[in-house]
Amino acid sequence: MKLRRFILLLMFGSFLLNSCSEEDDPIIPEPETGAYSEGLFVLNEGAQAAGTVTYISNDLEVVENEIYQATNDDDLGTFLQSMFFNDDNAYIISNGSNLITVVDRNTFEVVGKVDSDLVVPYYAAVTGGKAYVTNINSFDTSADDFVAVVDLETLEVTHTINLNTAASNILEDDGFVYVQNSSFGTGNTITVINTATNAIVETIEVNDGLTDMDIENAYLYVLSSGSFETVDLTTGEVVSELIFSDEIQGFSKLDVEEGTAYLTLDNAVYSMQVGATEGPVEPIIEYSSNSQWGKMYGFEVENDRIYIGDAGDFSSNGFIQVYNVSGDLLEQIAVGVAPNGFYFNK
Amino acid sequence: MMKNSVFYILFPLLLLSLSGYGQLDSINYLEEVFLTDDKLKDFSTGQSVITINDSVSKLSRPSLGAVLQFNSPIYFKENGLGMVSSPSFRGTTASQTAVLWNGININSQFNGQVDFNTINTAGIDQIAVRGGGGSVIYGTGAIGGTVHLNNRLSFNNGFEHELFIQYGSYNTVDARYNLETSGEIWSLSISGARNSSDNDYSYPNGRENLNGGFYNNAFDIGVAYKFRPRNYLRFFSSFIDGERHFSLIRPSESRTKYRDFNSRNLFEWESRISDFKSTSKLAFLDENYRYYENINSERFSFGESETFIARNDLEYFGFRNLQLTSVLTNTYTDGEGSGIEGNSRNIFSAAILMKHELTEKVTYEAGFRKEFTENYESPVLFSTGAKYDFFSFYTLRLNASRNFRIPTYNDLYWNPGGNPLLKPETSLQGEIGNNFKLKNFSLGLTTFYIDIDDMIRWLPGDGGVWRPQNEDEVHTYGLETLSEWRKQAGPGILGVTAIYSYTASKNQKTGKQLIYVPYHKATAGLSYTYRRWNFDYQFLYNGEVYTRSDNNSKYNLNAFTISNFSGAYAFGKDKNYRMGARVRNLFDEAYRNVEDRWMPGTNFNIYLNLNY
Repeated sequence: MKLRRFILLLMFGSFLLNSCSEEDDPIIPEPETGAYSEGLFVLNEGAQAAGTVTYISNDLEVVENEIYQATNDDDLGTFLQSMFFNDDNAYIISNGSNLITVVDRNTFEVVGKVDSDLVVPYYAAVTGGKAYVTNINSFDTSADDFVAVVDLETLEVTHTINLNTAASNILEDDGFVYVQNSSFGTGNTITVINTATNAIVETIEVNDGLTDMDIENAYLYVLSSGSFETVDLTTGEVVSELIFSDEIQGFSKLDVEEGTAYLTLDNAVYSMQVGATEGPVEPIIEYSSNSQWGKMYGFEVENDRIYIGDAGDFSSNGFIQVYNVSGDLLEQIAVGVAPNGFYFNK
Repeated sequence: MMKNSVFYILFPLLLLSLSGYGQLDSINYLEEVFLTDDKLKDFSTGQSVITINDSVSKLSRPSLGAVLQFNSPIYFKENGLGMVSSPSFRGTTASQTAVLWNGININSQFNGQVDFNTINTAGIDQIAVRGGGGSVIYGTGAIGGTVHLNNRLSFNNGFEHELFIQYGSYNTVDARYNLETSGEIWSLSISGARNSSDNDYSYPNGRENLNGGFYNNAFDIGVAYKFRPRNYLRFFSSFIDGERHFSLIRPSESRTKYRDFNSRNLFEWESRISDFKSTSKLAFLDENYRYYENINSERFSFGESETFIARNDLEYFGFRNLQLTSVLTNTYTDGEGSGIEGNSRNIFSAAILMKHELTEKVTYEAGFRKEFTENYESPVLFSTGAKYDFFSFYTLRLNASRNFRIPTYNDLYWNPGGNPLLKPETSLQGEIGNNFKLKNFSLGLTTFYIDIDDMIRWLPGDGGVWRPQNEDEVHTYGLETLSEWRKQAGPGILGVTAIYSYTASKNQKTGKQLIYVPYHKATAGLSYTYRRWNFDYQFLYNGEVYTRSDNNSKYNLNAFTISNFSGAYAFGKDKNYRMGARVRNLFDEAYRNVEDRWMPGTNFNIYLNLNY
């Protein structure tokens, strides 16, 4: 490596080498400010090899794969699960490597890492300079799952909250975090933690087969295999419940945007108003996929666009598709292995 | 590019080999040897068998994977030194290579595979590798080929001890002791071995191999007793107890460890009455593993299986030049594990084998096998082979067979996901071989074709639950060449062996090459013996492999070449003591068999070998 740099130095002069040196070069030219500020990130879970991040500009014109590896002489760890933002930084969670990599959200240069006290970290919610990170811990039991509280200044885990039940998705609203207690579609409770005290204050019971949840305007929307429930977060009570018909049920992912709930089922996306009394009948999107098992692996609705990720066979690069909310395909873009999430750097 | 580099590597070797005519008797890969597993000798017509003797296997690290990597066409996908090592033989998957211990199939009941780094070769007298199908004799998994671990017992051989101690880089210890003693009617062999290593080598990227330490202890015993004329009792027992910490790619990863304990026991009674030879066998295999997700915790997941085998081989020699054999086997397995409730299964199989020496030059054989079990639908398996010695220096070989790999405990019973409706994977395959044998040179050239249907693959399904399905169809074809040459060179003796294989293994749905199957693999060994000095050079070329199912070459693992060199001096009156030193990865090649799993750079060891 050193020798190669030396030869390159002789051949091309020093300007070429600035990019591959982090500490010993005092005059690093500033990378284009906000190279990644006007777009979204696709999180690619990865398989045997480390996961990657793809950047796509808002106009869908610019696509860059593997932006972390390209910017830093490093990787993000295996099995990237989710990502979150706080101030100027983006945080990428790797559950195979017990790692949260912190990068500048506009340049993707590494800023730091949370590399201790996490055991199979999964999702996170942020409030007051702290990240609440769910951890699966041992795979053979859900009794040891916990939430790690990470100080985003020091990047240290300051508290550990034992759940005594399964941990997966976690959402924040007004100083409280809501932990979905289900693993692989089995479970029927949501743990509520007060972030001021880091204490579990309540457990909300919902229907069996809890698969996903979302929060909008102080309402928590809960998707289970057979129902859609609405929880008023000010009271913690289930205020309405929609039981899906026998013909169409088994929805797996949920995103609520401006009063519309978008639901996925196999290779289709359905929508309905959150107050609806009957489930959706006709899909707004049905896409064709060769993937037997990785259909709709990632799903997100944002700014009147629907994003879906297809994981193919999990051992080669997948793709994403972007639709408008009427279901018209705007673009299909090749990304990395197993795209599982979309994060908007607006 | 890839093709050219292999060409340059191989051709000098082949040319070198072909040019030689020396004084010594030729030896070759098909040399007949005494094996406890006599089926290997008797029913391999049309197939190629490589035998690896003790002095060659001792050049490698003691694990079976390390020995075969340098001495066979099998490719190993190794998760870092000493970690899980799974084979791909003729482009097949890890569960399509059967490993036989004294003729008994020892592939795991849980995943159908053998981790080649969990077998210490110290207690094995002979390792043989047979390419191609073998399910008629050896049962499940014998599609790509079979690996045979055999013990041998001899009579009237006095008293022999052997002590072998090797120490090297990363605090690696390899110690083996073997005792053999025999009289006119009895024979005893005992061996014990230990292999341990801190395994803390550095990676080319500057990191260290963390949490990679391992040890294993092996104990083997063999007893034979001739209790009446034409009646032998034999008993073999093997215990391996090992612990490995699985190495980390990144320091923040969870530290895990894996413990395994395997015992294998075989009791045989061989009896000859007039034109019959009957061998009755009772075998008991105990497979046990524990995986600790967190090295500091007592919690573990496990698998335990016990297999009882009762078998009778009846051979009839009454016809001239014709050998008839029946093999009846009953295999009862009881297994349980984390995620697997206790389950037992019973498999009865009947096989009939026939070999006929039609003329002095032409031999052919045929065999059939059918299994009877409630667990899966079992196809009729067959094998046919022929060889024709056209000239004294040229033999043509043909072999065709139908083989299978049965669903494992994990495939059938894993909760959640196990699929009780799985069919066995089945193959239809054939090979054509050419053997050339000159005075001190031999060359085997084999082309093969394998069509595998109903391959079982685990895929994530509804709700993230992985489930096995009879999913894939794979065709593999390729070429294997094995050559060997010995010559008096100057004052010493020069020996060269070279193996090259070309393997195309295509998923029929996508038309793509399977991942982790290199097109090219070549190995070579060169030894030079002069008086009390002995020098060995080992060479491995491992072609580029795909790591992505769409064969996106951006993610390929580069081809690599590894060279090892060792020198030894024999001392004592009968040259029966030996001291030596080795350098492995002489040119400090930075290489990986699996993404991010770096292997060690140049490393050293010294050894002492005493025979008395």
